[in-house]
Amino acid sequence: MTATTTAAPAVGIPVPVSERARNEKRLGWKLTAPAVIVMLAVTAYPMLNALWLSLFSYRLTDPAAREFIGLRNYGVVLSDALWWQTVVTTVIITVVTVAVELVIGFAFAMVMHRVVFGRKVVRTSILIPYGIITVVSAFAWKYAFALDSGFVNNWFGLGDFAWFGERWSSIVVICMSEIWKTTPFMSLLLLAGLAQVPEVLQEAAAVDGATWRQRLTRVTLPNMKGAIMVAVLFRTLDAYRLFDNVFIMTAGAQKTETVSFLAYRQMISRTALGLGSAVSVLLFLSVVAIAAVFIKGFKVDLSSVRGR
Amino acid sequence: MNKQGTFRSRLGTYGGPVLVILWTLFPVIWILSLSFKPESGINNQKFLPDSFTLENYRTVFKTPLFTSALRNSIFISLIATVLSVMIATVAAYAIARLDFPGKKLILSLALAIAMFPAVSLVGPLFDIWRSIGLYDTWLGLIIPYMSFTLPLSIWTLSAFFREIPWEMEQAAQIDGATPWQAFRKVIVPLAAPGVFTAAILAFFFAWNDFVFGISLTSTDAARPVPAALAFFTGASQFQRPAAAISAAAVVVTIPVVILVLLFQRRIVAGLTAGAVKG
Amino acid sequence: MSDRRKWTVAVAVVLVASATAACGGGEAGAPTLNWYINPDNGGQKELAAKCSAASNGAFRISTSVLPNDATSQREQLVRRLAAKDASIDLMSLDPPFIPEFAEAGFLRAFSDDEARELTAGALSGPVESGTWDGKLMGAPFWANTQLLWFRKSVAQAAGINPARDPVTWSQIIDLASAAGKTVEVQGNLYEGYMVLISALVSSAGGKILENPEAGKNVRPAIDSDAGRKAAEVIQKLGRSKAADPALSTTDEEAGRAAFQGARGGFMVNWAYIYGAAQEAVVAGTLDQAVVDDIGWARYPRVDAAMPSRPPLGGINLGIGAFGKHKDEALQAVRCITSLESQTQYMLKSKNPSARAAVYDNAEVRKVFPMADDLRASLDAGAPRPRTPYYTDVSTAVQRSFHPPASVDPNRAPAKAGKLIVDVLKDKVLL
Repeated sequence: MTATTTAAPAVGIPVPVSERARNEKRLGWKLTAPAVIVMLAVTAYPMLNALWLSLFSYRLTDPAAREFIGLRNYGVVLSDALWWQTVVTTVIITVVTVAVELVIGFAFAMVMHRVVFGRKVVRTSILIPYGIITVVSAFAWKYAFALDSGFVNNWFGLGDFAWFGERWSSIVVICMSEIWKTTPFMSLLLLAGLAQVPEVLQEAAAVDGATWRQRLTRVTLPNMKGAIMVAVLFRTLDAYRLFDNVFIMTAGAQKTETVSFLAYRQMISRTALGLGSAVSVLLFLSVVAIAAVFIKGFKVDLSSVRGR
Repeated sequence: MNKQGTFRSRLGTYGGPVLVILWTLFPVIWILSLSFKPESGINNQKFLPDSFTLENYRTVFKTPLFTSALRNSIFISLIATVLSVMIATVAAYAIARLDFPGKKLILSLALAIAMFPAVSLVGPLFDIWRSIGLYDTWLGLIIPYMSFTLPLSIWTLSAFFREIPWEMEQAAQIDGATPWQAFRKVIVPLAAPGVFTAAILAFFFAWNDFVFGISLTSTDAARPVPAALAFFTGASQFQRPAAAISAAAVVVTIPVVILVLLFQRRIVAGLTAGAVKG
Repeated sequence: MSDRRKWTVAVAVVLVASATAACGGGEAGAPTLNWYINPDNGGQKELAAKCSAASNGAFRISTSVLPNDATSQREQLVRRLAAKDASIDLMSLDPPFIPEFAEAGFLRAFSDDEARELTAGALSGPVESGTWDGKLMGAPFWANTQLLWFRKSVAQAAGINPARDPVTWSQIIDLASAAGKTVEVQGNLYEGYMVLISALVSSAGGKILENPEAGKNVRPAIDSDAGRKAAEVIQKLGRSKAADPALSTTDEEAGRAAFQGARGGFMVNWAYIYGAAQEAVVAGTLDQAVVDDIGWARYPRVDAAMPSRPPLGGINLGIGAFGKHKDEALQAVRCITSLESQTQYMLKSKNPSARAAVYDNAEVRKVFPMADDLRASLDAGAPRPRTPYYTDVSTAVQRSFHPPASVDPNRAPAKAGKLIVDVLKDKVLL
């Protein structure tokens, strides 16, 4: 990407300043109103509805028994071991996938940054996992590791090890699918960050006799801190919502349930709208909390995200 | 020493790219290979088929579950994309071009909504949809799809629009055009590539959706492709046809591959534009 | 490539894709009945065509296939019915879900006269499981039960004949372990696992719930000797060499594949597997020798002194409470569940009939050499608990007993009992 051209303030025509500003303000609001209304209608309204539903004991198949119970559903969820187990599972998967993606994504970004041979092929191929449906990726990895159709055990001489029979091995396969599918996104964000590192600094360091490792840790990484944090934030929030891979591969068996999957099961499978809404609200709050930690705690500069 | 050096640099030049390509294409080739395996050879536990068949493709195209899902997915995703991009284009223009209080708030709102966990919306939406008759309809999916396609489009487009040479608009305005005319006649053609990129990205997201697809539909009337893949059935309720699912998976991956092949540069630009300054 | 050409290609791709997708939708006609069916090999579709034709233009039946597993089938139907969907005229229902549907007012009850007509000549199990609160809610269509399937060669080598002398779980687990063979059961975390647990508890002389009809105020009965004996069987199998390596993810088909394979010894599974094995021979994926080697017997005992209670399954036909063509739907139910239709269905889809007389049909007996065993098993079977909260009860039991290898007989039944109570009182998540 080239240097930013901050949108030049629209001046040039001799119009009284205050009136022009007022017109501009009004036009700006008019043009953005539809977007704001639609965004709020499709998210804020259902979310408020969930907040309301979460105060009831309410089951779709037993509507007569609907009853206002205040915050009791939240008490039930937060004191339930299953909730905490899903939180732990989700956090583990999030941390592992984001960490591995960061490493692999960085390596890929370096390759793409330096590549002279097959530049277009590499960039095209890296977009394919990005574009592929997550469910398809989940099936591909599931079939690869499954005892009946899979080649993995055969290739690595693992005999009849049942990957989906245990918690940790199931999580490993879930992570692999997730990592494969989302590393391209990470590496493209990092690639954009790499492009920002001034070449002059690199050369100066090389002239000063810095090793490759020194250049990486002293020059490259510090200069891409912004890009790295943004990529990590985006991917963390995304990974925390993990649902598709779990649904396809284990359906939550072997304690691989994630928070999203738990919410889905309460809401949709059990049609326990009250309890399920409480889980949904808590899921939403966790995502907000993660974002807040990143922005306040790690000082992720969102204005850089906004492109100023 | 010297020899090793050239070897290393060669490894860097060729090894890196080859590794990346292997990584990205390996699972794709695997699912392609599975889709060519005959039902009897699906469990050969090898990467490649022992014998080659197109039977699985014939099966999926004879399955109404799949053909209707393909239709649903294409149109639902396209409609959601077009609507979002239209609304987003107008909004992003205002954000990039005009100075008014609240535009940073709108961008933050878009970012927050793009990060919204879809599962949180599913329960209330289901409850609302069933009471107003939107359950298991196209519109019932198009609306929730806009919860992510719209913020994504606003985001991508605002970044693109910042790069547009706005002087041309000013020139048009000096020539006597109203701001609206200047927008339509001068900026729209300039902005079209960005709009198209935003549309591709939004389409990818809509095409990928699973949570809304399984929760807010229940029949061929609106069920999209990812949900249909998860509900694929065999000859009895106990059978799950891996080979047919693979064939269906390959079919729905083809549009993605075509889009990526045609618009690789645009997609890369679009993905990075909103995320990192510059 | 120029931009214009890219656009053209993109548009062409969309057009081609939509054209491919566009076939196979939209039809017109007078009253069309929508029948939601569980997946099968086309048997129900055949009956739909047959009964449409037989109605002389009074109605047309079109079928919509539900997802694979019973739980998802229920999920789809509940969601539509909760929305008071008028387009559900007929549905193929797994019997355990009938109480829930009936209580929620999703089903049109059959009148006593209709019930008498629809259940005449039917086996008692399917009639009972289609009835709730004294009313027939689902007409018996087909009935399912599990048998003990064994490889004759393995049984012979071990010196037993399960078809003649009833065997116990303990016995076959030991024999299979010694012979390096497996005992295949459904151990995945899904409804099939509940089928196993429920049959084991019933076979040990117990039940899951004390008073299933009490709804939310139910008292669990699984925390009992019978519950512990059932858990012991699962634990023993899970820890033995006779367990499938993928026991905790095995479903009906995975079990069948393993049973037909080199290590196949014993398996409990539904009636469809014999037909499926024969179809595999026709398709060239299985040796006839394997099919010839398949024997069958009554479901294994838990207690050597007590006859087993095999699981019951199958499909009953319900009429949607919100449909606009209930009279036509009733006519369709009469036709679909007729003796002739059920015979045709059993032959086509290899699922056992709910009518006793079908088992005496000569052709059926030729295709199902185990026809008498199936019928006896159906008569002796124990249904899963009949409660409007069945899904929660079932999930609570499955979770407390999963994974099979780590089931503790001293804890799992107690845990299941407590979880059932807590879940129904909304005190915990599930």
